[in-house]
Amino acid sequence: MQTTHPGPSREPISLSFPRIIPRPKSEYGIWSWISTVDHKRIGTLYAVTSFFWFLVGGIEALLMRVQLSQADSTLIDPEMFNQLFTMHGTTMVFLVVMPLSAAFFNWLIPLQIGARDVAFPRLNALSFWIFLFGSLFLNFSWLIGDAPNGGWFGYAPNSHVAFNPTNGMNFWVIGLNILGVASIAAGLNFIVTILNMRAPGMSLTKMPVFTWMTFVTSVLIVLALPVLTVALIQLQVDRLYGTHFYNTAAGGDPVLWQHVFWLFGHPEVYILILPAMGIVSEILPVFSRKPLFGYSFLVFAGVAIGFMGWFVWSHHMFTVGLGPAANSAFAISTMAIAIPTGIKIFNWIGTMWGGSIRFSTAMLFAISFIAMFTIGGLSGVMHASVPSDAQQQDTYFVVAHFHYVLFGGAIMAIFGGIYFWWPKATGYMLSEKLGIINWLIMLIGFNLQFAPQHWLGLDGMPRRIFTYAENMGWENTNMIASAGGFLMAFSVLLFMINVVYSARKRVPAGDDPWDGRTLEWSISSPPPHYNFEKIPNVEHRDDFWFTKHPELIAEYYHDEHSGELTAPSGAQFDEDAADEEDEHAEAHAEEHHGDDEHGHGGIHLPDMSYYPIILAAGLTIVGAGLMTAVPVIIIGTIVLLWGLLGWSFEPVNDPVPDSH
Amino acid sequence: MSNFWNKLLYHEGRGWWDLPRTQWQDPNPQMEGPFGHGIAPIKRTWEIITAANYHHGTPWFYVLIGAILSIITIVEVWAFTWETLGGLLIPLMLVLSIAKFILVVGFFMHLKFDRKYYAWIFTACMIIGIGIFVALLLLLEYGNQTQQ
Amino acid sequence: MAAATGTYEIKNEHGEVINTSTGLSNKKLLMWSFLGSDVMFFGSFIATYLVYRNRSLVGPYPADILDIPITSVSTFVLLMSSLAMVLALSYIQQGRQKMGTFWIFSVVVLGAIFLLFQVYEFNHFGQVGLTPRTNLFGTTFFILTGLHGAHVTLGVLWLIFLGFGSIKGSLRADNAIDLEIAGLYWHFVDIVWIVIFTVIYLISARDVGPPGSVPGLH
Repeated sequence: MQTTHPGPSREPISLSFPRIIPRPKSEYGIWSWISTVDHKRIGTLYAVTSFFWFLVGGIEALLMRVQLSQADSTLIDPEMFNQLFTMHGTTMVFLVVMPLSAAFFNWLIPLQIGARDVAFPRLNALSFWIFLFGSLFLNFSWLIGDAPNGGWFGYAPNSHVAFNPTNGMNFWVIGLNILGVASIAAGLNFIVTILNMRAPGMSLTKMPVFTWMTFVTSVLIVLALPVLTVALIQLQVDRLYGTHFYNTAAGGDPVLWQHVFWLFGHPEVYILILPAMGIVSEILPVFSRKPLFGYSFLVFAGVAIGFMGWFVWSHHMFTVGLGPAANSAFAISTMAIAIPTGIKIFNWIGTMWGGSIRFSTAMLFAISFIAMFTIGGLSGVMHASVPSDAQQQDTYFVVAHFHYVLFGGAIMAIFGGIYFWWPKATGYMLSEKLGIINWLIMLIGFNLQFAPQHWLGLDGMPRRIFTYAENMGWENTNMIASAGGFLMAFSVLLFMINVVYSARKRVPAGDDPWDGRTLEWSISSPPPHYNFEKIPNVEHRDDFWFTKHPELIAEYYHDEHSGELTAPSGAQFDEDAADEEDEHAEAHAEEHHGDDEHGHGGIHLPDMSYYPIILAAGLTIVGAGLMTAVPVIIIGTIVLLWGLLGWSFEPVNDPVPDSH
Repeated sequence: MSNFWNKLLYHEGRGWWDLPRTQWQDPNPQMEGPFGHGIAPIKRTWEIITAANYHHGTPWFYVLIGAILSIITIVEVWAFTWETLGGLLIPLMLVLSIAKFILVVGFFMHLKFDRKYYAWIFTACMIIGIGIFVALLLLLEYGNQTQQ
Repeated sequence: MAAATGTYEIKNEHGEVINTSTGLSNKKLLMWSFLGSDVMFFGSFIATYLVYRNRSLVGPYPADILDIPITSVSTFVLLMSSLAMVLALSYIQQGRQKMGTFWIFSVVVLGAIFLLFQVYEFNHFGQVGLTPRTNLFGTTFFILTGLHGAHVTLGVLWLIFLGFGSIKGSLRADNAIDLEIAGLYWHFVDIVWIVIFTVIYLISARDVGPPGSVPGLH
């Protein structure tokens, strides 16, 4: 409303809102973290929070593995087991993989596109706080002993109040809705950031692949999460106010929930895996010392996956009885989506082919991502075949499949990304020795746990059973799997030891420890809060690498159309904009970027603010009030309005009396 | 847009897909469209109707659009009372409401005047949304054997 | 709200954003992306309504209860509020502050009238025996139109906020973008109503329930 910015003359505006708390000023201490709008700090907050939930979700998984390690085990009762697998799935999807990816988005996107922050810094902070409060709200259910127990997919009417009268699913429904708001806000923010905040010369086709995958993921988040929100609202009003969306007694359709949930759920799968693919696409070229093979195809395949991912959802429902026509159509579309995925795998292999590879920890994680993800992808194609899926549905084969793509895929890549970007974020190296042991144990433990589950599944062991009889012949395999689970837990422990050990040892990393390719390696480690003293001018893909190795430009890039070696830099920001005859706007933009380069005086960063956390708290209180009492809703609304109004009247930067 | 895909697929390219130059890579290909020059008169008429040469509507132009919207609404309600329409009612209503939708999005939301970027964003979302929800309705209408 | 998400936009003398890669305004891009997201939101609810059309086990059914003339009037009111909105933006952009303020508050008044119609309708339906708990039609109808009403309410509050900004002079030609994105939101709510009016009222107002269903109020 009244942003004071260094634009054309704008006198300060007198409209104001009483400030109950003063604007935060401190640069250090806990209040500076609570009021931060810096994308790097928010990224760190995301990473720490979601790593904590990773441990919680891992403990839930271990409890289940202990229970399943022998037949007729009575350690955990069936009700508890339901809660454990529900919360394990929900936690790992919504509180671990998505926010860990968000941590990478936050840290890297502004650095990779040469910006000083995201487009909406306070909105970014809001996303994090909503995520934090939503995740606490969801897990608060453990404390009252009533955790959600309807599966991470919450199939209605099983999750309906008639069959599930406890409070657990209310926590699930409202908690996920709160988390959905956070995800959508973050997704919108990154769409705008990536489209609008690129450095001069960085056209869409020169963006790093990780940035591209973030863009596709953000679009998927923004379009898929509302569908989940709708399903959750419907279930919520059913559960809390007695409506009939999924009440079969009143004619509600039990299949509708499955459709709506998987309409969201399948794009969600790509929301989880595309950032991992982006991370791997950054790691592989660096350690192969070669440009990414087939950049265009990787990007195109990512976009194609993002689009096709919308039209495969019913493959989760082959055994529902949709009829042969529908099943065939979705079988075909599901098999077709393996094509762009396969393209990516060949491109990654092509990137390594002929390169002089350094087997650092990050590289090892990236390579094992390719291998594990391929195994998971192939078992996925097996499910695409309807008769085969009818055999595998609801067995441990499916469990093995999606853990191969989500742990062997997403988490492996994320660990690789942590080892890769840790020096940039902190300024010192993680120990490579411990790192390689960490990788090896994680890989062995992972395969020990999940490879046998393929056999278990084909042998008919159903998912979500809390125990099994002695004569089924599943004991040994389950015991091996449980042992693998503990090995994985040990590898995560090793990672934490590595973090502590490296933090004590503090081996300085330097600005560019890996001979990196993208812009984030061109600035100091850790980056200054304004990121780039001078907004870079981008001429190539992997611009920083070619700045370091100008002799390689001619070898890897030539423009055969014009005969010139390189396109004139910054001549076009963006193809799409250039299509629309407003070169003059871009010329202005460039002039402005020029203005920014007068050193620190030209750098304007947003001031810190408390309102994001207030707004997020208000939203969460309203959510809690929906389950409890109207007064709580009113209190929450008041807090929400306070945050909203305070935010609206708070200028991004308080006017500085003697500025300019 | 074609320029964009050109750039994406052939950007300073060197690789195994480095195919020979084709006509569609020309910077300014002949834009004939599926109907050749046959739609030129229609296009011209459309431009006159939609005031395509104005960059912003004038207030009176918006009032005109508002009047058209009101008339369409009146026609809708009037057609609704027209019993003899029978099975034609639903298609007619859909056409009329799509017309209203386009008028509001195109003129009140300035998509017609504004940068095409916004139109692409909105159209892409509409395509995905309409695509999946029509597919969903078809599935539940014709595919769901458990309903019988 | 979005009026103050606060970004570093720098504009030239024509009010065009010049410091973004695409030359597009951050806020406007955010709003259009959000509207794309909202398409999916309302799309899911409308799809649910259509799935459950004619599948209520008990009455009242749409034919028993929907009142096309009254809803036509409220539809007309919302359409006119859209017209007022676009006029308000046009005047604010031209720097004609008073006309702008007038039209912003016209939108507020028209939006409020629409909401009153909805309150009346909900009340009336409740009295004649249709609540969200009655049947599938009641459930889908009330939740869909209710959430649309919530969107309208939010828009009204936002426009009141901007209207006072216009009076105080903090909403002016050079930051008319704040009004423009509120306008985009408002028009979007209007087009959602265009679809709802067609789908719920015009197309299904003669629905008398599934074959062999229990008769309704008649």
